[in-house]
Parts: sequence; C-alpha cells; structure tokens
Amino acid sequence: MRFIVVRRTKPHQYIKPLIIVLSLLTGMILVAILLVLIGAHPVTTLVTIAYSFITPQVVKDMLLLTMLGCALLISFKGAVWNVGAEGQLYVAIIPIVWITLYAVPWSASSPPHQQVLVILASITVAALFGAAWGAIAGALRAYVGIDEVPVTLIMNYVAYYLVNLLILGPFRGRYVYGYIRTDDLPDAYKLSINIVMQRTGNAFLDGFLEFIRAIVYYAYWVLAAILVALLTWVVFNYTSIGLRIKILGSNPEFLKAVGVDARKTILTALALSGSLVGIASAIYYLGDLTRLTYPIQSQTASYGYLAILVAWLSMLELPLIPLSAYVVSSLRNAGRNMQIFGLGGLESTLILLGSILLTYSTLRFLTEYEVRVVK
Amino acid sequence: MSLEQYVANSIIELAPVFATFYLVALGHSLFEKAGLLDLAIDGVFFMGSSIAVRAAVASGSPIVGTVVAAIVTMLLGVALAFLMTYLPISHGAIGLSMMFLGYGIGIIVGYPARLEVGSIAMYAYSEGWAIAIMAISIAIGATVHIILKYTKLGAAIRACGENPHAASSLGVNVLLTRLIAGAVGFAIMGAGSSFFTLAWQKFWDPKSYTLGYGWLAFTVALTSGRHPIVLMPISLVFGGLIFYRVRIGVMYGVEKDVANLVPFIAALAAMLICYATKLKKVLAPPASLGKVYYKEERTV
Amino acid sequence: MSDEYIVLKEISKRFAGGVVALDKVTIDIRMGEVLALLGENGAGKSTLIKILYGVYSADEGSIYINGRRVDVHSPTEAIKYGIVMVSQHPQLIDTLSVVENLALGLRNFNAFTSIRKISSFILEKSREFGVKVDPWEKVWRLTYTQKQLVEILRAMLLKARVILLDEALTYLPLEEKKKFYKFIKEFTAKGGSTVVITHKIPEALDVADRIAVLRRGRLVGIVEGTSARIEDVRRMMFGESAAEITYEKLPASQPGGRVVIETQDLWVTGDFGEDAVRGVDLRVREGEVVGIAGIVGNGQRELTQALMGLRKASRGRILIDGRNVTNRGIHEVREVGVGYIPDSPLALGISIDNSMAENIAALYQRKSALINWSEVYKVASSLIETYRIVIPGADSLIKVLSGGNIMKAVVSKEINYCKKALIAHNPTRALDEVSAAMVRRSIKEKAINNGVAVLLVSEDLDEIYQVSDSIHVMNSGKLYGPFPPDEAERSKVEHLMVI
Repeated sequence: MRFIVVRRTKPHQYIKPLIIVLSLLTGMILVAILLVLIGAHPVTTLVTIAYSFITPQVVKDMLLLTMLGCALLISFKGAVWNVGAEGQLYVAIIPIVWITLYAVPWSASSPPHQQVLVILASITVAALFGAAWGAIAGALRAYVGIDEVPVTLIMNYVAYYLVNLLILGPFRGRYVYGYIRTDDLPDAYKLSINIVMQRTGNAFLDGFLEFIRAIVYYAYWVLAAILVALLTWVVFNYTSIGLRIKILGSNPEFLKAVGVDARKTILTALALSGSLVGIASAIYYLGDLTRLTYPIQSQTASYGYLAILVAWLSMLELPLIPLSAYVVSSLRNAGRNMQIFGLGGLESTLILLGSILLTYSTLRFLTEYEVRVVK
Repeated sequence: MSLEQYVANSIIELAPVFATFYLVALGHSLFEKAGLLDLAIDGVFFMGSSIAVRAAVASGSPIVGTVVAAIVTMLLGVALAFLMTYLPISHGAIGLSMMFLGYGIGIIVGYPARLEVGSIAMYAYSEGWAIAIMAISIAIGATVHIILKYTKLGAAIRACGENPHAASSLGVNVLLTRLIAGAVGFAIMGAGSSFFTLAWQKFWDPKSYTLGYGWLAFTVALTSGRHPIVLMPISLVFGGLIFYRVRIGVMYGVEKDVANLVPFIAALAAMLICYATKLKKVLAPPASLGKVYYKEERTV
Repeated sequence: MSDEYIVLKEISKRFAGGVVALDKVTIDIRMGEVLALLGENGAGKSTLIKILYGVYSADEGSIYINGRRVDVHSPTEAIKYGIVMVSQHPQLIDTLSVVENLALGLRNFNAFTSIRKISSFILEKSREFGVKVDPWEKVWRLTYTQKQLVEILRAMLLKARVILLDEALTYLPLEEKKKFYKFIKEFTAKGGSTVVITHKIPEALDVADRIAVLRRGRLVGIVEGTSARIEDVRRMMFGESAAEITYEKLPASQPGGRVVIETQDLWVTGDFGEDAVRGVDLRVREGEVVGIAGIVGNGQRELTQALMGLRKASRGRILIDGRNVTNRGIHEVREVGVGYIPDSPLALGISIDNSMAENIAALYQRKSALINWSEVYKVASSLIETYRIVIPGADSLIKVLSGGNIMKAVVSKEINYCKKALIAHNPTRALDEVSAAMVRRSIKEKAINNGVAVLLVSEDLDEIYQVSDSIHVMNSGKLYGPFPPDEAERSKVEHLMVI
C-alpha cells in the first residue's frame, strides 16, 4: 500500500474551511502543549485562548489587520509575494511625522480646516511612500528577475534602520524626557474619539461597554477599513489591473498571450499593495501609534508580519479577510495573555503564527490535489 | 602592534564571523542545489544559535552546543526536504512559515538558559578555538565541494536541482537525494549558527531574531552562485563588513544605525549586480529551484 | 513467439478534468521483437509507456514481468527490471557532463564513487558499443542527435533488456534515424526488445515485428509488421472514416486581394536550439482559409507562436495586415485584431482558475482601465449559447468544465475576437464530432462573412480539406505547396506529410 497524490477531478466542497480550522487547531494545540510542558495548567491555557477571542483589545488589531490583509491580498492574488508590509508600514510613517510635526505643525492659531487637510495629506503621502517602497521590489522582480520575497524582507530591515536614523537625527523629539523618540502627534491630528464610560460594576456589562468604547475610539478605523476593503473589492471586480493581477496569479502565460505586459502588472501589483499598506499605516499612526520610538525593530508590534498570516489564512478570498483578521488578532491577543518569559507574548505569538502557517501551507495542496491510496 | 600581530588578531577576531556566515550560507547552498528553495534560513539561523546556547549551558561544553544544534536543524532539514519533494506544495510558503516558527522556538529554547546563567560567555568557545573553527569550516566546505563536483552523489544532487523529472528518468531517487541534501545542508547551517552565539557574540538575546543576519547569509549564497569555494571570499567580505561596520562607523563618527543599514543595502546592491549583469548566467540558480515536483501532469 | 517478457494488463489512466488517457489497455511485449505503438496525438501511447517506466501510476491494471506481478513506482525500479525509456525530449540534465548524466543510473557504483572512476568504465563501454561522444562535454553543448545517442548508450550501460522509444527518433535526420534503426535491429537480434512509439506508418511498417494501434485511449488491435498494409493500419489509426472524406466540403470563400498574413523567409529556433522553421514564405489573403497540414513536431507550433509574437524569429519578416510585426511582441499583433487558438490551450489559451467572463474580459477589455462587465457578459452568453458550452454560468471557473467545454471556451472567444486574422492551431482537438463540425463552420463563416484571413494548422487532414481554400504541408520546418483542395492532390499531400 502506498499513497499517491493526484489532481482533483472536481473541487471538494468543504476542503477550504477544513484546512483553515485544522491549521488553527494545530497552532493552538502546539502552543498549549508547549505551555503545559513549561508548567502551565492545560485548562487555564485553553480558557486563556478562548477568552482572548472576546476581549476589546481585538478591535484595534482586527481593524488594522483587515486593512493590511487587503493590501497584501492585492499582491498575493497575483502570486507576487509582498512580505514587506512591515517595512512599507514604517516608511510610510516618515512623511507623516514630517508633515504633522515640522511642515504644518498645529498651533492654537492654526485655521480649523488645516486639521482635515493635514490628515488627508498625511494619508495620501503615506500611500505614495508605501507604493514607492513596494515598487522598488516590484521593479527588481519584474525587470531584473530577483525574487521579491528576499527583497521585500531585506527592505524591512532597511526601513527599520532608516527610520531609526531619522528618530536619532532630524525627527528626534524635543519634549521626550530623555527617551529616544519623536514628539507626540499633535492632538488635533489624532484620528481617534475618546469617550469616558461609567463603570457599572457588573463585569459582563463592563466588558461589553469596553467593547463599545473601543469601537467608538476606533470609529475612523472602522470607516478606513471599510473603505480599504471596498477599494480592494473595486480593484478586483471592476478594473483591468485587478483582473490582470488575478490572471497573473493563475496563468501568467495566458496573460502574455492576450497581449498584456506581465512585467508592468507585477510592478503595479507591488506598488498598489504598498500604497494600501501606506494608507493603513497612516491610520495606525494617526489613530494609535502617534510617535516613533527608538529602536523601531524592538518596538514594533510586527503588524506587517501578522498581515501575511491574515492574507494567507483568508485563502486569498477578500470576504474572508476581516474574519481572518479577527482570528489572527485574537491569537495575537492570546499570545500576549499567555506570555511565557515576559516578552509581551512574543514567543507564543511566533509559535502560534509559525505552526498555523506551516500546517496551512502543508495542507493547502489538498484544495487542488487529493491523496489516493493504492494497493 | 606589529603587522603580524595585527593580522593574527584580525584572523582570530574574524574567524567566528567567517565560520558563521560561511557555514550557514554553505548549508543553505547545498539545500538549494538540490532544487529546494530555502526561505526558512533566517528562522533556522536564530533557532540553531539558540539551541546551541541552551545545549552548551546545559552540558557545560560549547562543542555539545554545536552538535545538538546541528542535529536538531538536520531533522528539520529532512522534514522540509520531505514535504517539499513528496507533496505539491509551495516551497516559499513552507519556508516562510518555518522562519516564524524558528524565531518562536529559538526564543523558547534559548530564554531559560539566559535566565539560568545570565552571561553565556563561560560556556562559549575560547579564543584558542578561533583557528580550529575556521579550519573546520574550510574543511567542511572543501568536502562539500568535492562531493558536489566529483562524485555520483554530487551529480545526483545537482541533477535534482536542475531537472528532477529528468533526474528521475535517469534513475536518480529524487526523494532520497533531496533528503540527504536537506539533512547535510541543514546540519551545516545549524553548526554555523551555533558559532554565532557561542564563538562570535558570546551573548544571547531574544531580540536578536530581528537582526536578519540569516538574510545576509542568504545573499552571500545567492551572490556566490551557491558555490562552496566562491562562498569563502564572499563570506569573508560580508562577515568583515558586519564585524567592522560599527568600529568603522565610530572611526568616522557615523551612527550605529548607518552601520546596521549598510550590510542590507550592500545585500540589495549585490543582488542587483548579480542579476542585472552577465554574472546572472554564471551564478544562475538551479533551474528547478523552488518548483513543485509533481509527475502526473498532462495537457488537454 | 510465446515468450512474453512483459504484459501490461487492463491498464487505465484518467487525468484531471476526467480526460481518459487509457481505457483497459492490454499489451504484451516479447523478447527479441520490435513492437511499434501507433496512434494519433492523444491516443494514449505515451501515457502507456510512461506507466511502464514508472513516471505515471496507473489508476487500474497491473504489470507482469516474466509472469510475476510487479509494481513499478519509479524509473529507478523500472531500470532494475531492465526497462529503459528514451523520450522525444531528451531527459538529460543540460548543465551536467555526459558522463555525469550516465553515471546517475548506474547501480554498480556507490554514491561516493568519483565521476572520474565511473568515466573510465563508461568510456570502455562506449567503445564497445561504438559510440563516439566526448564524455566530459556538457550536455547542453551536444546536438540533438548526440543527446539521443547518449540516451541509447545509457540504455546499454544500464543493461536494458527493453528499450522504450517515446517518439525518440522523430526529430532525427534521416541518415541518423537509419543508424538508430540498424542498432535496434542488432539489439533485438541479441534478444532485447524495443517498443517504438511513432505517428509515421511507413516507419512502423519498416522496423516493427508487430504493430499495436491505439485510438482515444483504447487498443484497436495488433497486427504483424510483415503482413500489415499501410491502408489497414491507417484505418485502424483514424477509424473507418480515414479512407474516404466523410466531411462535407464547406463552401469556398472569395479571397480579396489584400494579403493579411505574410511571412518572408521566416526562420524560427525551437526549444532545443534547432531550426524548427526553415525559410517559410506564406501568404494568407483576406477572406481566405489557408490550411497547413503536417504531423506534429514539424515546426507548426514554432511557426504559429512566431506569427503571434510569442517566439522570436531568428531570420525573416512577419507582416500582419501590412504592418511589420517581426519580433515586436504579441501586443502589436493583438492590436491589429488577431485571434489565436494555441496548440497548448491550457497554457496560452485560457486561465482555468478564472471564470469564463474574466477570461473574456482579459482579452476583449485589454485596453480599458475599467471593465465593462455588461458587455463582457453579453459576449459570454452569446458564446455559451452559440457554441453550446456546458457551463453553470459565465461566472463559473473554467476548471470545473470538461476538457471539451474548456476547448470550446478557448475557441469561441478567439473566433469571436478576431477582426483581421485568425491563427488556429488544432482548433478542434478534444472536441466531439458535432462541436468540431460547428467550430469548423464558424471559422469558415468568419472568413466568408467578415473577410478574416485564417491560417489553420491541423494534424487532422480531413479538417484541413474541409475548411481550406488552399493547402500547404509542413514537414521538418519547411513549407510545401500551396495545393488546391481537390481530391487529386490528397495523395500528394499525404506523401509530403510522411516523407
């Protein structure tokens, strides 16, 4: 008896959700086992994981990861692997810092419309910077033939150190009490709504109210996430470039045969992907981050990397991106709650991320292939 | 300091740096020579260097650290080679997933050792080992070169990288050959990564997974055309650049982050030079690198 | 002859999309014989041989060697049983030297044996077999003939008892081919067996002791090589219809004066660096259907790809509608309004992971930034209706369709798209007779009603005769003709195809 792998003659109905669920379970079980080995109680661990899915912290991460997931989807659909969202995210913040603190700083005498204009300009310029950063890798892949995976990854490091230099140099804050970071974003430019809610004393009700508070606080993010998702939807359903990217991902030979420049399509896919990362980045900076702290590679929340998981786990289906983002943010949350060595849950997050991705990339072939047992 | 002394000191200083980059790039090259795309390199690098620390602290001997790191990464290499050859799956996705997992495992394995002993310096290789480490690295490299170039096994490994379908038709057991390349390649990577913590840094920090040195080793391999001998000078140049960049930076009054930035810019520039010029043909990757090996394909 | 060395029993094989490649085929291979496997493209010959060599695994059926049931899971195992395959495309590693390639399968040397040591063994053996090739030469430097020679030498070194030649001699020059056949005769005289796959009937009659004919995955029959007549074998290969033209001749079109497709002394290099197209001069006028007949692998693929701008011309010029498009890329050609039905529809003709509508949009809405879906769906539903494509809807992914319907999707969108010219390569492959007839009719109508210049390249001679206003034959990269499509010329055309 032995196994042979053959192409499916017809698609399996439930295979996709099955693979996703299996991958998630594997990741969680692996982390749970690790924690138990280290000495944690298995029930506590499972409760912690479950609890992580319903805490208000999920709201912020989910919204941001939805945007970043959409951004990566744009390139992944074309089988162009932009794993450089992390770098694009920080590079896109550079012009925002400059605009909001140096070019058009807010003062009591500033005209009220300046607020809106600066915010809009920040988002626009961030999109351009993200696009440019992505386009570098795009050009190298399309016209020189260098694999975009190592290039986008290496450019993440370039972005880190570039931003570090700016924090140390021109962007070094004046009001930071000996910290090495940029000055805080002026309140006027912040994209968040702070409301105060009375505690009721009822734990359940308070938890619920905390959710409401989070959603209100991130109301602009909700709007942005919807817009970004909508934009992605329009790109893929109504534009030529979206269609070309999809065909690039499934059959680049055919794309060439209809007379389309495949190289330009690769370049555009990475630029477009980078620009959406830029938009997400602006929302993140204006709504939550509000300053850059040195050294960035130790301070980062690694959203750029988490986004890879979001895009992959969605099976590259846009409607599943928010769901995937929710699952990933909950798992990130679980990682934080299960931290082993006081590293902010970094280690458990990485294990979760890695094992889910690994199971997922291993099983993914089952969507197209089946395993047959032969006597 | 006389010139001889200066050179001798430099060699002793640089030996572990060279060994780290050279062996990691060498193992990675061997893996890729068989047609297996290795995007796990940075995670494996950190994981190996952490396992080495844990094993060295537990046993009190850096040699045990190196051996254990090599064995664990070897098993990983076998697993990856198996998955990538036996199943029609994306080498890239598997590799990147393994990178993240490698970071996580590295932290979990390494951290207790640091909690236990604080400084790992006394468990690391002493300076007296520098020359030996360098010599062993070169010997391993020479052996790999001879096997790859002059033996039947080497021809089989190269055949699997160029065209596994033809190789199979010629009578090569593609799976077995790739398992061997995966095992030996990753074992060498693991040994190399152990020298990072145990001979070069003599220090372990969970945050060093963000250093990205694995990607620099990746670039070293790419720009050397994955050739065991050519890897030597390129590893030395990159290793030297990384080792001396801070010192040079201080000399010229440059920020540390400029010094950190330079190797990555150099890596991108090196890739660009290799791909945009005629070097591209000489350094060409194996023709089937990263391609799914699936036999039962047919057109309408 | 009762000493059946190998028996392939009731072998069946299906490929993705439900394509039946083999349907319960039973064949025996005897010691000391040359067995020819004859059949059209897609008849299943190559699949059968690849199952025996362990490249593919059979869905059903079993293999017996010397009466014992065996499993052949890989070429390595086949080699153990003394079976060696030589393909049409040399299965050698280009970047390795001859001796390295040959060493790979040798089981009498362990993994760490130096190539130098193996080389002396190989040199000695090759002298024994009278083969002269520099063992240290890299394979990519060899000519095609030398590569096939190396493959044969390999079979000898592996002590093959059965050599499978999968179209291995098709590309060889005549002189060389004769040498190979002489060698094969000697080999079988010493007790070895050879299975030769070919399209060419005279060749099979010439060398084979027995001829097995396959059609659409089934064994039609086995005849003795000495007693078989060319006409009988032809009927077995193509079915009863082969003898006479059963297809009604479509009305002739009235070609205009304007030349739409033109090549001048066109030379195109093939995948193996050979001159696949050698000095072709071709003219197709508006409203005219020009057919190119020929057996697969005579440069037709390279010619059509060069015309579309998908392959570089090494010499000569290509003019489409008067515009010089030589080596300007496919974009320029499509711009003129040229439809293209490629020889490899799954690679170049359609993207199966996208929907019918998306495939249409990719071509029809090439130049607009936003896609006008209502227009696309209008085209899609008209194509689905006209060509009776069985598809749940224009939104369905192509990959859920059957092979025939995929082909209809490819063909219909290209025929409908073309404005000035249509280059159609085997447009009815994988289609049933009814659909094929409809496709031929719509190609012809496009020429008559819209003045489109059609270049029809086909391995189906009846199809060529049915549709064409003038006929060429392509053989070994050269173009013969044109001939008028009347019966008198048919034997001449057939002769040109097989010489």
